[in-house]
Amino acid sequence: MGIIQCTNVSKSFGEKVALDNVSVDIPEGKIFGLLGPNGAGKTTLIRIINRITIPNSGSILFKGKPITQDDVEKIGYLPEERGLYRKMKVGEQAMYFAQLKGMSQREAMVELKKWFVKFGIESWWNKKVEELSKGMAQKVQFITTVVHKPSLLILDEPFSGFDPVNAQIIREEILRLRDEGATIILSTHNMESVEELCDNIALINKSHVVITGGVNEIRHKYGNNNVELIYTSQEALPAEEGLYSILSDEDDMGRHTCVLSIAEGRNTNEVLAGLLNKDISINSFKELVPRMNDIFIKLVTEEK
Amino acid sequence: MKFRNIKTIIAREYSTRVKKKSFLLVTFLGPIFFAAICILPSVIMFMTEDKGKSVGVIDQSGIVMPKMVDNSSFTFVDYSTESVENMKNRLDELGLDALVAVSELDTQARTVYVTSYSNKPLSMDLKEAIQSRVDNAVEDYRLSLYDISDLKQIMKDVKSNVIITSYTMDDSTGEEKISSSEVYMFISMILSIIIYMFIAMFSGMVMQSVIEEKSSRVVEVLVSSVKATELMFGKIIGVACVALTQFFLWIVLTVVIVSGVSAFVGIDSILSTSTAAQTEQMTMMMEGMGVDADAAMDAAGMTMPEMTEMVDSEMGAVLSTLRDLNYVQLIISFVIYFFLGYLLYASFFAAIGSAVENEADTQQLQIPVTIPLMLAFFIALYAFKSPDSAVVFWGSMIPFTSPIVMLARIPFGVATWEIVVSMVLLVATFALCAWASAKIYKIGILMFGKKTSFKDLWKWLKQK
Repeated sequence: MGIIQCTNVSKSFGEKVALDNVSVDIPEGKIFGLLGPNGAGKTTLIRIINRITIPNSGSILFKGKPITQDDVEKIGYLPEERGLYRKMKVGEQAMYFAQLKGMSQREAMVELKKWFVKFGIESWWNKKVEELSKGMAQKVQFITTVVHKPSLLILDEPFSGFDPVNAQIIREEILRLRDEGATIILSTHNMESVEELCDNIALINKSHVVITGGVNEIRHKYGNNNVELIYTSQEALPAEEGLYSILSDEDDMGRHTCVLSIAEGRNTNEVLAGLLNKDISINSFKELVPRMNDIFIKLVTEEK
Repeated sequence: MKFRNIKTIIAREYSTRVKKKSFLLVTFLGPIFFAAICILPSVIMFMTEDKGKSVGVIDQSGIVMPKMVDNSSFTFVDYSTESVENMKNRLDELGLDALVAVSELDTQARTVYVTSYSNKPLSMDLKEAIQSRVDNAVEDYRLSLYDISDLKQIMKDVKSNVIITSYTMDDSTGEEKISSSEVYMFISMILSIIIYMFIAMFSGMVMQSVIEEKSSRVVEVLVSSVKATELMFGKIIGVACVALTQFFLWIVLTVVIVSGVSAFVGIDSILSTSTAAQTEQMTMMMEGMGVDADAAMDAAGMTMPEMTEMVDSEMGAVLSTLRDLNYVQLIISFVIYFFLGYLLYASFFAAIGSAVENEADTQQLQIPVTIPLMLAFFIALYAFKSPDSAVVFWGSMIPFTSPIVMLARIPFGVATWEIVVSMVLLVATFALCAWASAKIYKIGILMFGKKTSFKDLWKWLKQK
């Protein structure tokens, strides 16, 4: 059972339909990717889960029970459009957000100090936000999102504004939080991090869920039965009618990298058996799984 | 709504504002400013007064010079034997500030012609002093032409100078108190200015704070932790606490300054100097009106000490009114009406702030809110002229103007039922408007990109 179960959620603003009968099941303790083009309704869905927006119909269950305002304290939300009070001191500000999430003053102080030490930013405590760079402010913002140990973290484009080094630190923190039992909803356009981090995804386009499920299942489902073969031979491998065709072949001084398309009704074992009889030495043979990026583009453009 | 969240929000709004330099500055300069307002007019009067000026008079008519009576400011010296041509170039040499030449009596027109010469333009006061004295002389001359015996005595007899002593009746004790309606007017005016300023300033502050959170994009993080309505009310109450803190600090500081100054100078000397200043002021006022103070006193059969006594009793009325003012009642009504009026307007301003992304966009949306506020202020300024007129009465009942107008009426005394009705109306209107504002606010704070129109606000209001 998922930590969040959205069933038939619909929301419209006046004439404009933002979500139409959306159902998503977000499994506990996993990283869930929420994908979709701009304006698809992702932010609306996130705001509904956060109880910022109330849906017109449908139900949201949090740990199996209809979500209440009290549950919001167990959620940490890093919106895409985020910011801090520019004139306020970093420490005071972090304390404020922590207390709004239900932490006591003492508890908040202890936890915040831990995070500040961890990120090496203790010296920022008494600085005003306007004195920080964008990347520094993002770090503070990340801390305020996770300090109350939320069981559900909703991160909307968490890596934007970070340099590669800091992005890696955040990536590691996300994985660590997941390993400690937190569920993470990751909304991003960065498909590499989806492949790297997410266990499950939902792709939303034009207010509908287009596809949802495990990342690997989806990638295999959208695989079109191609394999990548690397072999060494003086001559290029010819196609074999009824078993496989050659989509491409790159010859690098006798080392060939080629893509085979397996014929309808045949499988990899049969292809491999056929290849063993050829006059080539096989270096590698692997199934070609499509990139999330390609699946995303394919599904979104197909809808149009 | 969660009280804990609201408390946290109030605490932040309060502490960030109270720690600001501008708050401290206004809090400490305010009372000094008030004290200055009270003291400055007398100081200016004192500083600008003409002191010991001497004026040469060449009187060819023979009727004017006897009327050129010296006073504390001007001394008139008789040079009637000299010629104008001879004199007018010797002003500095003779130490004269001006020379007044009076022509021979024109028996046809029954008047004289006056010319003045001076190195610097004549001051207003001097000109008026000369004018009133010459007029006086000419009037006397014309009267004498009627050739009625005892005319002077008759004129003295008919001149009137009625003194009005006002008492206000205290219904509860049946006591009558000597009172000065000027004091009530003054208090009423000050109160309406302060409450208008406070409501406009602090509800504007709420709007700024909403815009700040929206434009810095803090707001989405906030509403993921607390409800939008909690945020709005927390903010409104937080700023209200700042306003009340400022108000009480002003009272405390003013009391401290006043008692400090009076302990330093001695209360008696303040009172006596202010009485002297009043007498002086009165004399000048009368001269300004073309009445020769001395002649008037003469006519009224009063001597200078008597005159001072009269002013003293006026002063006594002011003091007794000031002493008898129910300050506790005034302060309590100020706090209640400020708080209610502020709540009403702050909720409007919060809704406006939520609908825009920067302060420049607020102007159009602000108009329907600032108009009643301004209107209230103008009615309030009218209130001290006629506190019980229809406009003022309805102004003090209609919730959008009542906080300011009612407060302006209170120093003159208002029936309890009127106060109760206006407060009940105000609270009810606030409840309704706060509900509407909260609806707009909830939607507005998350709207970006498009400029908001009144149509949008109406749509948001109807949205479920």
